[in-house]
Amino acid sequence: MKKRIFITVLACLMLLFAGCQGNPATGGDNSNNQSQVSSYNFTYKETKITLHAPAEPIIKALGDPISYTESASCAFDGLDKSYYYGSFYLETYPKDGKDYVYGWYFKDDSVATEKGISIGATKEAVTKAYGNEGFNGSNAWVLKDGGGTLTIILDKDAVSSIQYAIVVE
Amino acid sequence: MKKRRILLASTLAVCIAALYFLQALLMPKYMDKTKEGALIGEYYDNAGNNDVVFIGDCEVYENFSPITLWEKYGITSYIRGSAQQLIWQSYYLMEETFRYETPKVMVFNVLSMKYDTPKSTGAQSQREAYNRMTLDGMRWSSSKWNAIMASMTEEEKKWEAQYSYLFPILRYHDRWSQLTKDDFTYWLHRDKVSDNGYLMQTGVKSVTGEYVERPLVDYSFGENSWYYLDKMVQLCKEKGTQLVLIKAPALSPIWWEQWDEQIAQYAEENELLYINMLDYQQEIGIDWSKDTYDAGLHLNVYGAEKASDWFGKILSQECGVADRRTDTQISALWAKKTQVYNDRKAALQTQQN
Repeated sequence: MKKRIFITVLACLMLLFAGCQGNPATGGDNSNNQSQVSSYNFTYKETKITLHAPAEPIIKALGDPISYTESASCAFDGLDKSYYYGSFYLETYPKDGKDYVYGWYFKDDSVATEKGISIGATKEAVTKAYGNEGFNGSNAWVLKDGGGTLTIILDKDAVSSIQYAIVVE
Repeated sequence: MKKRRILLASTLAVCIAALYFLQALLMPKYMDKTKEGALIGEYYDNAGNNDVVFIGDCEVYENFSPITLWEKYGITSYIRGSAQQLIWQSYYLMEETFRYETPKVMVFNVLSMKYDTPKSTGAQSQREAYNRMTLDGMRWSSSKWNAIMASMTEEEKKWEAQYSYLFPILRYHDRWSQLTKDDFTYWLHRDKVSDNGYLMQTGVKSVTGEYVERPLVDYSFGENSWYYLDKMVQLCKEKGTQLVLIKAPALSPIWWEQWDEQIAQYAEENELLYINMLDYQQEIGIDWSKDTYDAGLHLNVYGAEKASDWFGKILSQECGVADRRTDTQISALWAKKTQVYNDRKAALQTQQN
């Protein structure tokens, strides 16, 4: 009899600890892919920007932005921030009380990718620079490098948007 | 033999009771911080006699005030909103709502059409936390189970998390080291955090600049989103309830013109009323320097009252929702709700000052 009771109690405890999954779900940051680095980077007026880099020194080096917006998530602490520097937007995400680079995207043709592609470039120029890998067959290249993506969007066979962002999983 | 069976059954009952109380203690309470997590569970005490039910994400529970709808038009309503509620969750919440009542109008906020799959919503860790805030508050039913199965992230599927939604203690058991005073205070009961699903905010944070977002490769809504919107249309038809699609007045996330066109076309094809309230900001009277608590993402109570006043007119005149103020029983109930709302507003305003 004692054995049966022992088995019952044991079964309850097993049920309790089955499916143990680490931290409980009471929040979260907006990026959990910190381990994968990416070689994507962008240098603007001698300031090098890399994905996942701490944002504070970069923003300090870039100087005052033309405009700035921030947005909170529906329920959690921390703000996603966006800084506009005329030629590009720099976006950050919060993690453990600090901001990190989420990505950047270009707004004019005064800045270019590491392979020389800027807004307004032709489809042929993009194909020559990046090949067909990552081309979706219609209007965009989505290229991955480690924990980062480069997205080049075409509008009527000319580049209309160039965007870098971390991979969020 | 009989004595042994009684002893075994008693032991089992004690174990189950212990697990129940332990689970109640370990689950997040959402009373002080992240109050959004308490919203879904509050519905059941208010189910029934709601002529209008709002379903959707933060854009419903922050931007519409059922008390204003009552005071201005005598409309009884409830908001079944939760943080980053996804369209499959909205569908199953709608299905579940019909188990309790058949409102004249269901209002669905279409922003969540942008998310086609759980993966498309962002980081898995945050997605799961949002899932918990919507799903843990639902009472047990096939709707809840189906909502769980539709909502799980890839990571959750790997460790078969559906059972932890069934028995949340499996997920929260290691919260024992993080328990706070609130966990004991609200062990077996909760305070009401909302006014019929409306989560009041009295702060003011003005809009400072125009929101700009990255252009998208493809603006088409995904198949899964359309699938659940179709199911909502079908369900409401079966129940004889009018489905109204809205885009609430919020400046961020951006509601792209291409998205608006798709919803407008869908509404026309399905003979639905679709109102993009962003097109009526001036008419509503929203002042973005005063009527938002987070720089344009959501309205504060002053903005929500304006939006509700404006939308109530449509519910009343175009949808024919009845004025219940002549019903003494309903009036008495809503007088109490209004008092709670006004007290909450005064308390929050005092805190603010």
